[in-house]
Amino acid sequence: MNSVQGRKMSDTSIKAGNPELTKKRDKPKNLQLLVTLSGKQTMTYGLIGALVFFGLWEVAHLLTAEEAKRFLPSPLSVVQALITLFQEKDYMADVGISAYRIFGSFFIACVIAVPLGILMGCFAPIRALINPVISGARYLPAASFIPLLLVWFGPTDSQKMALLVLGVVFFLIALILDNTEAVAKELIEAAQTMGASRREIVINVVGRAASPAIMDSMRNMIAVAYTYLVIAEIVAAQDGIGAVMMRAGRFLKVDVIMAGILTIGIMGVLTDIVFRVAAHYAFPWNRKRKG
Amino acid sequence: MKLKREISEINIIGVNEVTKTYLGGTFTAVDNVSLNIKEGEIVAFVGPSGCGKTTVMRMVAGLETPTTGGIQVSGHNVQGPGPDRGMIFQAYTSFPWLTARQNVEYGMKILGVSAAERRERAQKLLEEVHLIAAADKYPAELSGGMKQRVAIARTLAQKPEVLLMDEPFGALDAQVRWEMQEMMVEIMDVEKKTVIMVTHDIQEAIYMADRIVFYTRTPGRIKEDVYMDFKKGHRFTSKEDLLSQPGYLEIEKQMFAWMREEIQLQAA
Repeated sequence: MNSVQGRKMSDTSIKAGNPELTKKRDKPKNLQLLVTLSGKQTMTYGLIGALVFFGLWEVAHLLTAEEAKRFLPSPLSVVQALITLFQEKDYMADVGISAYRIFGSFFIACVIAVPLGILMGCFAPIRALINPVISGARYLPAASFIPLLLVWFGPTDSQKMALLVLGVVFFLIALILDNTEAVAKELIEAAQTMGASRREIVINVVGRAASPAIMDSMRNMIAVAYTYLVIAEIVAAQDGIGAVMMRAGRFLKVDVIMAGILTIGIMGVLTDIVFRVAAHYAFPWNRKRKG
Repeated sequence: MKLKREISEINIIGVNEVTKTYLGGTFTAVDNVSLNIKEGEIVAFVGPSGCGKTTVMRMVAGLETPTTGGIQVSGHNVQGPGPDRGMIFQAYTSFPWLTARQNVEYGMKILGVSAAERRERAQKLLEEVHLIAAADKYPAELSGGMKQRVAIARTLAQKPEVLLMDEPFGALDAQVRWEMQEMMVEIMDVEKKTVIMVTHDIQEAIYMADRIVFYTRTPGRIKEDVYMDFKKGHRFTSKEDLLSQPGYLEIEKQMFAWMREEIQLQAA
């Protein structure tokens, strides 16, 4: 018994002291499973990623033949084009109208989807009534409504916003339905046994419990709304970022097109940050615990 | 320490020939169960998994409706859930968006209790369940046992006549479960509720209950209905006291024998 134990111990000490083995174990340190990064490390990695992207872009621009360079302008000339747009072309007005279309239509979509999704999640008959239509509608490409919307609304803001609403509202309802159904049944039953009214449970139990997930769904769907923005502003539009890009395309001003893409990207990132920060302060009880 | 249990002769809960079937009558979960529970009694429902013990309790809570038969609590037919029958679930049901204290106050708010009284009663109950230090934390910051204590305090705050506990400590680790069982015995000495507790922990049932109703495997019928006479009218604040009580081992052996019978019946 003792000798067995003794042998075991000496075995491990040999292994632990073997520098070859130690080295081997240390190697994949940076890519281990379940390892989290500090905020600073995450920022550093993100910055490196962005620099590599712009670096590759610059290299690609430099390698492009001189006569084709205008089709792949350098990152800096895109930024230059963006500044010129703001300074000389009243671009702020276009950005403003695009932002108005996005946020206005997304607000309308939320006003429809949040109550409807929650009610569908809470009440089986409402779900059974509406779900078939919603599920089908999700598979219709929103762009296919453009001719119809043009006939109904003409080339107006309403037409563009209707397209954006159509593009996101069905997905948003489906997501919020899921978020609502994911609320633990025991929370509802506990409220029932406490004598809470149906209205109280729908609003203050299910609604409250699902709200962080609903906020997340909204954050994800507004990204989709951005993708429809350009589609909406390409057809029969005089203003907005999409219209600016379309006009630039007619004159092969690739730097301006890219400046438009960059604008939408920046707006998207800012929107995402706003949603995250709002969720952080709106749901202090849902913050991920540190450590 | 021994606590005197106080049980009146009045039946507060009456389950009368209750049957519950599912799947359009093809599956019988509870088959013709009748039982009366006296005010102040702590009754444990014990039996193999899937024996319908939880279903009977959920029907008392009003969360499910008997297919045939009826249930009376305090002389009224059970029509649906209500605050006279407080329920504690195995899953954590403290509302994550409310602090422990707000959770305890929530049930009273529903009942329209004044803010001053809510605060006072919440404070007292949080002390009773040893949660004062964590009173202003959110459930996400609490351990499983603490979350369950929030649920207990929240339920007691509504002053229910009957306390229904569905495997209340089932999700907790052994040590915490043991602490909670002892705490619950002490709370019952203060709050004096009629309790139905569903459990498949035999020792938990013997320790906490004055009476054990043992269910048969599907369909659920009452196999045995035994009073814990060996406790001689007491409840114990520590498990050691229970274990050193003459007659304890016999009843535990008996329970295991019944459990084995039911499991083997199923296997056969």
